[in-house]
Amino acid sequence: MSKLISINNTFESYQSLITLYENYKAELFSDIHVEIHQFFAANISAALGAVLDKFNSNLNDIHFDYISPQIETILSKNDFLTYYGKQRAVDVNNTTIKFQKLKPTDGKYFKSYVINELIEGHTSDLPRMSAGVKEKIVEAIYEIFVNAQIHSESKFIYTCGQFYPNKNTIEFTIVDTGIGFKEKINRRFGSNLSATQAINWAIQDRRTTKVDISGGIGLAVLKEFISMNKGKMQIVSSDGFYQFGCDGELLRKFEGEFPGTIVNLQFRTNDKINYSLKSEIDINDIF
Amino acid sequence: MENITINIVNTIGDRYGVEAEDGQKVFELITTAFSDQKRVNLSFQNIEMLTTAFLNTAVGQLYKDYEEIFIKKNLSVSNISESGKVALKRVVETAKLYYKDPDALKRSIDEIIKG
Repeated sequence: MSKLISINNTFESYQSLITLYENYKAELFSDIHVEIHQFFAANISAALGAVLDKFNSNLNDIHFDYISPQIETILSKNDFLTYYGKQRAVDVNNTTIKFQKLKPTDGKYFKSYVINELIEGHTSDLPRMSAGVKEKIVEAIYEIFVNAQIHSESKFIYTCGQFYPNKNTIEFTIVDTGIGFKEKINRRFGSNLSATQAINWAIQDRRTTKVDISGGIGLAVLKEFISMNKGKMQIVSSDGFYQFGCDGELLRKFEGEFPGTIVNLQFRTNDKINYSLKSEIDINDIF
Repeated sequence: MENITINIVNTIGDRYGVEAEDGQKVFELITTAFSDQKRVNLSFQNIEMLTTAFLNTAVGQLYKDYEEIFIKKNLSVSNISESGKVALKRVVETAKLYYKDPDALKRSIDEIIKG
């Protein structure tokens, strides 16, 4: 039996999820018992969903033996527990961004999800974001989703988010169970980089593994926006951890490996920067 | 040379120019027009969202097969948002550098390995 205790967007919390995966990854046709205690950040459902799906694909049965009542309410509101036989609960506060499991080819579903959950949903309530900030947030989320589509070689992409009105933040998490940064880069260049080296390489501007097509701008653009917005971004891929935020950059190594990639984004919704300012680029001087 | 307009919304059937695959459809139309000696105006009218992944395939990869001077002369854009303009300029600058020196990426990996 595994206990997940106080799961948030910290290195230690991601380590707990990796340990859960490592403990049961070899199990086949078994019963896997999980308990969730004290706190569970709703957006991290995307990462937990990905790990549990790996167990499901080995025909294991997942049993939630205990979930703290408050956590159970949140995970029912955001639809996560409906994937595990529980009843959906109504989100009267309208602060959840639903858990979704998508195929990489489901771009159109992702679009309606983003429109319903981020653009048109939540307009009459919290948080009130300026249009410019909202557009930048949606753009950033799209860059990451498209990255997972193109690069991960994953069967599914898992997404989930949460508004935190008291903290004026939105957290959004995109997870895949694909090959990860390390494998992708090492295959492309015949190198032997570690996961942290691979992530650190990929987040620099103009770094791409695509053959014959330029690119590598998405993560750099995201990082620049996160910096202006004073938000936070985290990447977990294999045993590598990367974090960028107001406190600077951090690279660390986990014990064990996450079976894919987690990108967790935190945006400040009370950002007053005007992102719609006219640029100095002349439309006749682009090429 | 005759001028033609490629309407992106119509080409991809969407107001969101976000997926690389959709960018490929735009790219193929541009190259067809170029082969037929046409000057292309790329209309972003009614496009609400763009990603760099879409712009890389739609426009960036033109620099693999065409000289910068040719593209400058035969491709123009219209009705693009301010943020779209910034993203497109960045995609174009990245593409120019990438195709001038395709080995630069491999060298950046080698530098990490050498420490």
